[in-house]
Amino acid sequence: MAVVLSITPSRFIASAGKLDSQRRYIRKVASGADFKFVTGQNMDVSGGGLRYVDPDGNNNDDSAYNGSFSGAAGIGVKV
Amino acid sequence: MSSFTASNSRIRVVETVSSVDQTVFDTNDDMPHIVGTATLSSVTVDFAVMAVQTYATGVVIPNCVFFAPYNRYFSCLELDAMIVPRESSAVTDIADLPTDEDGNTVAIDFVIVQATGVRTLAGKDPRFNQALPTTVPPKTFSFQGSVLLESSGTANGASWLRRIVSVYPSGTKLKMKVQESIGVLTRNAPYNEVHGPVTTFPHYADTRSTYSFTFKVFYGKFRQ
Repeated sequence: MAVVLSITPSRFIASAGKLDSQRRYIRKVASGADFKFVTGQNMDVSGGGLRYVDPDGNNNDDSAYNGSFSGAAGIGVKV
Repeated sequence: MSSFTASNSRIRVVETVSSVDQTVFDTNDDMPHIVGTATLSSVTVDFAVMAVQTYATGVVIPNCVFFAPYNRYFSCLELDAMIVPRESSAVTDIADLPTDEDGNTVAIDFVIVQATGVRTLAGKDPRFNQALPTTVPPKTFSFQGSVLLESSGTANGASWLRRIVSVYPSGTKLKMKVQESIGVLTRNAPYNEVHGPVTTFPHYADTRSTYSFTFKVFYGKFRQ
């Protein structure tokens, strides 16, 4: 039978393990992110070239790209 | 010390590891979670065939063509051939965003797309009798934002072709934007005294590419 709630000095478990203190639930942070969620279009093409907007919001263009797309930075999360 | 607290509409779990308190779960934080999924089958992407044209470079080629009635050679203009540059972009609505119990569209913060796709028509490089390189893996892959589908470079490595697709939420819809950029690609088109200028893009008519995808879309939010 699944454990609904278990609280011991070293571990907390709720809802049959769906919430477990030995796991790491990611959460949004303003700084110090471990990785980022991309929230929209992050590539563009123009002039036969490509712009890739990395999760930090930096443009990475090849030599042919001549467009003006501006992508947004991703949303940072911490583990 | 590890702890669990529930007070003032806040649940917080802290795990103490090597005397350092680490937040495991805190309802005051914005935590990413999935609020809905959708499976979209037979999502098609279509890149049109390219066009080619010739143009005079302004260079005169002496004695390049022989006219028998005059029993002599004539000069002619040097020609180059080019793939006609093109920028194309098409946005389509491929799904409605999830709604709440009142029928209102949920404000989605992000989507994760799990895609399975196949190139149903492999467009050729207009210069060569070979398919344009595709970056779509043969098995299921996940992405957020955009995916590069095809690209090609000139002899010196510079990019002249990019074909991409983007999937993102906007308003009440899940949008798919298909973009293609054809830059400058020229090749000398030597004059042929029998047929006139000969295209050096013998496969330009086979450059159309099509894809068919199944998208499993995970709609996510950071806070309810």
